[in-house]
Amino acid sequence: MRLKKIKIINFGQLSNLEFDLPSDNLNLFFGKNEAGKSTTVAFIKQVMFGFYLRSSSSPFFEDYTPLAHVSPMGGSLFFEYKEGSTFELERLWAKGDKTKRGILTVKKDGQLVPESLFFDQIQNINGEFYADSFIFNQDMLGQVSSLSQTDLLERIYYLGAADSSKLLEIRDSFEKNASTLFKKTGKKPEVNRLLKEILDQRENLIQVENQYQDYEELEQEYKSYKKELDENDSKLKKLNDKLHEYQDLQKQLENYQTLKKLEAQQKEVNFDKEDYQNAQSLLAQIKNLAESIDSLQNQLEQLNASVDMDFTVARELVQKRANVLQWQSEYQACLQKAQQFESEKQQILALNPELSKLIDLNSEQIKQLQNDYDNLPQEVSSEFIEPAENTTKIWTISGIIALVIGFVWAFSSIVPGVAVIVGGIALLIYGLTQKSKSDQARNELAIQNKKRAEKYQLFIQKYGFDPQKVNLKDLLIQLSQYQLKESAIKTNNDQIADLNLNLQGFTTKVENTLKKQISSDFDSVLNAINVIDNIVDKQRHLNDRKQTLQADLSSQKQKQKELNLELKAIFAKDNLKDMSDFDQQYQESLKQADLKTRIDALKASLKDQLTELEKFNSNSDNKKLAKMKLEGEISDLQKIISDEQAQLAEIQVKMNNLSDSTAVFKARQELANLETKFENASKEYLANLLASKWINRALDIASNERFPKMLAAAKEYFKLLTGGRYTDLALDKKITVIRADGKKRDVKYLSRGTAEQLYFALKLAFVEQIKDKINLPILIDDSFVNFDDQRVEYIEELLRKISENNQVLIFTAQNSLIKQMDILPLTFTKGNLDA
Amino acid sequence: MKFIHFADAHLDSPFRGLSFLPSNAFNQIASSTDQSLSKIVDIALNEQVDLVLIAGDTFDSNHPSPRSQLFFAKEIKRLTDAEIQVVMIFGNHDHMSEKDLLVNQSPYFKLLGPNEKVESASFTTKSGFKYDVIGFSYLNNHILTDKIAEFPQKSSNFTIGIMHAQEKTDQAAHDVYAPFEVKDIKELNYNYFALGHIHLRQNVSENPWIVYPGNIQGRHINELGEKGCYLGIIDENSNQVKLEFKKTGPIVWKSQELILNHELSKSDLSDLILQNLKATQTTYFSLQINGAQLLTEEELELVQDTDFWQNISMQLENNSQLVNVRLKISSKLSLNSSDQAAFDQAFNEVFSVNEFGKFSKDWQKKDRLAEKFANDSDFLKEVENLAKVKMGNELKGIIDET
Repeated sequence: MRLKKIKIINFGQLSNLEFDLPSDNLNLFFGKNEAGKSTTVAFIKQVMFGFYLRSSSSPFFEDYTPLAHVSPMGGSLFFEYKEGSTFELERLWAKGDKTKRGILTVKKDGQLVPESLFFDQIQNINGEFYADSFIFNQDMLGQVSSLSQTDLLERIYYLGAADSSKLLEIRDSFEKNASTLFKKTGKKPEVNRLLKEILDQRENLIQVENQYQDYEELEQEYKSYKKELDENDSKLKKLNDKLHEYQDLQKQLENYQTLKKLEAQQKEVNFDKEDYQNAQSLLAQIKNLAESIDSLQNQLEQLNASVDMDFTVARELVQKRANVLQWQSEYQACLQKAQQFESEKQQILALNPELSKLIDLNSEQIKQLQNDYDNLPQEVSSEFIEPAENTTKIWTISGIIALVIGFVWAFSSIVPGVAVIVGGIALLIYGLTQKSKSDQARNELAIQNKKRAEKYQLFIQKYGFDPQKVNLKDLLIQLSQYQLKESAIKTNNDQIADLNLNLQGFTTKVENTLKKQISSDFDSVLNAINVIDNIVDKQRHLNDRKQTLQADLSSQKQKQKELNLELKAIFAKDNLKDMSDFDQQYQESLKQADLKTRIDALKASLKDQLTELEKFNSNSDNKKLAKMKLEGEISDLQKIISDEQAQLAEIQVKMNNLSDSTAVFKARQELANLETKFENASKEYLANLLASKWINRALDIASNERFPKMLAAAKEYFKLLTGGRYTDLALDKKITVIRADGKKRDVKYLSRGTAEQLYFALKLAFVEQIKDKINLPILIDDSFVNFDDQRVEYIEELLRKISENNQVLIFTAQNSLIKQMDILPLTFTKGNLDA
Repeated sequence: MKFIHFADAHLDSPFRGLSFLPSNAFNQIASSTDQSLSKIVDIALNEQVDLVLIAGDTFDSNHPSPRSQLFFAKEIKRLTDAEIQVVMIFGNHDHMSEKDLLVNQSPYFKLLGPNEKVESASFTTKSGFKYDVIGFSYLNNHILTDKIAEFPQKSSNFTIGIMHAQEKTDQAAHDVYAPFEVKDIKELNYNYFALGHIHLRQNVSENPWIVYPGNIQGRHINELGEKGCYLGIIDENSNQVKLEFKKTGPIVWKSQELILNHELSKSDLSDLILQNLKATQTTYFSLQINGAQLLTEEELELVQDTDFWQNISMQLENNSQLVNVRLKISSKLSLNSSDQAAFDQAFNEVFSVNEFGKFSKDWQKKDRLAEKFANDSDFLKEVENLAKVKMGNELKGIIDET
């Protein structure tokens, strides 16, 4: 785009000023200082991009006198856009306008069009872009040292993609985000902060991971303490053992002393156990014998003392039992006879009533009668049976029997035997005597009977009855019978009386013998005889026993005597008086044996300690001291042990704490968390960073690699401008230049002239690069003050080259440049000044 | 004979990307590795295995915390008490000396090949089956040499190799973990080769078996899927091995993609996210939203807000959590064709490794971690994505205006 005409209505100190630009390539504006050169530059820029009314602080060249008092302000720029096509930009500002930028009207080929139509042609750049890229002045030159790739790239990118400005905004925001996340140096950005935290946490983790070592160390410590403790424990045990030994010794000392005492009591005892046992046995035997003898004697005494009875009498009484029995039977017979006689008497009386007259007759009368009767022949009765005949025989037989028994008995027992024999003889004699007596009586009776028969006849007369009618004889027989009966009764009664008398007498004897009343009847007496017999019998047995006992007694006494002798022999042998001596000796021996047992037991229990005890006993004071020392050692050791135990417990607690501790895990987790945060923040950072780079690069590509090309051009221009002193440029974050000798230089170390040359090179290279996209006039305002002639030459060459593509407007106060350029300059004249 | 093979327990290892979790949720995962290890021991005891192989990196550090050491010792004691043979090696993370290991001495515990010397140990099962285990432990964090050359010829016993190592790459700088070539291991013809180091479960070879069991619990969004151990059953006649994977890691990490086809409201977006996060077990989700260019700026901000994740998580089943959202744009930037070309070209240039290296130099130089990230292609990919999303979002603004 070529600027054809500048029309200033009011702008700064300029008003109503018009320039028609003669060249599409290079135009020169000449004016002294304050003539309006910079104002014109500002005007061109501000008409396109808006007025700058000091509403904010303004950099560099726009810092001119306010325009407030003139109205309207502004003017127009006329561009030739294409062959035959023009844009007219008019920007005016009047007081009261809302915008201070002024109101822009764009006409294309005289037709009013939207301003975008114009701006689309220049890639919608803004004023800043234009100023930075197309305007060269002192202020802009001063910025050369801060010029960076970024600035240049940015401007290039404007030209690349559609919406590049928005893309650049996005890129900026990415970049800004990235830089809030991470900065190469810095503490606040998140990634930096996290890095610091990670470093700290790593440090911390190393500390925490020392747990492992701590634990091992603790374990070592534990083991060594444990070992020490065990050693001390065993030492303590030994000391305690020793102490116990002392205590034991002390305890044993008593025993020892007892032992000694007991030993002192020990003495020799000649005790013959066998003898003692013999003696004891003998004594026992003797004692038994004595007892036996006593018992025998007692028994004997008892036997003697038992019954108070005259055994001779008693025996006699017993022997007379047969008599009594005889008497009894006689008595019975008598009683029967009496009854019989009475009944016969009554019978006789009944049969012979005459007899009643006779019966009252006394014996004289009877005798008379008898005599009378006897005068009558009378039969004499020879049948008279001596009643005692049998009794006599019994006595005789009893005597014989007794004799036989007596002899037999006498064989076994002399005394009773003899007695029985004697009894037998007596009975025999008695029997024989009785026989002779009864024979006599029989003779007398026969005589009497004869007399009676003689007298029988006489009776009949004398006594009132007819002996004819009545057979006196019969009657007398009857009387006699009757009288006989009566006499028989009398005799019988006599006999009964005798028997009773006998019995009485016998009873008395029995009573005497038994010493008690007995009723005088046969049964009682017989009973009593049985009693006596029993007693006698018993007595006999007793006697037998007594004899046996006495025999035993004497044999035992004999034996006792022998045993006593034997015992004495033993005593004599053992030199003893008696058994009590022996017992004493025995007790002594027992005591000694017990003593020995105790001594042995003590010795056994003391066994190994004996010698020590002996020493201990003789030296107990020293031992006490030793014991005290020992106790001291023990208590010291116990203290050490308890300390060690405490230490161990403490270590154990520490170990337990460590073994329960999740600190390592936590520290690692914390680190992992930080790392994750760092990772995420880094991703965020890198994503932002790379997104910005991505946009950069995309713009780079979309802008047709202008930057590399620009760089190449800039190098070339710089080399040219410096006359080959500098051969290369490096554009990074900052610019470095490389001298011909290969040395790198930072821009800040360049001379002002070289810096300006660099600035020129870069900017012109840039403008050249964007010429196909943005082709606006290059405005150079007094920029060569520092260019010496040599340099001006170089720049002239460059400008000519540049101006082939871009229109160049140079505003200068230097005549030398005008001369050099050999171009007729436009000048600043009030009013309209045409070139 | 039965055995268990696991590796890379990384006790004490932190969990990444979860710092925003409330403490109870975080504690859930913090204890997950321990739980997984205990569960492996449980399985060993229940299955009455004869052997447990631990192929390195049991601890995340060569300075393991006493707590982890004691925990590990306790778990090992459960095995040795049951007379189960344990053979363990150290890996590049727990490269420590044998004496620093707190495991109780036991005839059933064997640390194989300390001092990086290949060691062969012979064992016999209770039933009398003989087997050898051959391997080595790290003493330093890097082993540059190929250790397979040092492995001896197989004996007549069933032979197990155990190694913490990484396959050779084409970059020598990466070959620092006993780099090996698969063909060399195959040539050894051991019956089973138990590897550790790679956290992704994989069978390098099936005949013979060369196996990475993976780690036992995922620790971040790049350790996806079920984690646990292998249970091996050896046919003592044929020496054939049957492998069965046992899941022991209580928490599974899962990546879920959500494709947006049109713009939608915030509440619809939230519903759509919920529909896409179905969990049958405790799952930590990484959600990739494809078509992020369709999100409004507000929505973009929302889906990247951890409070929003927590809100979503509260509605998930099985204590699952949404712990990560990645955005991806599904279309090209909306630019005119010439600009588009410039942007595409610029993208390829700027995101090339060299350019990236140049741009990120200041950042990289700051710390080894940055340097590590700078060399991590995943990281770069994410940066790219993020940049794209950002760019897409910004450019959308331009386009909307025009």
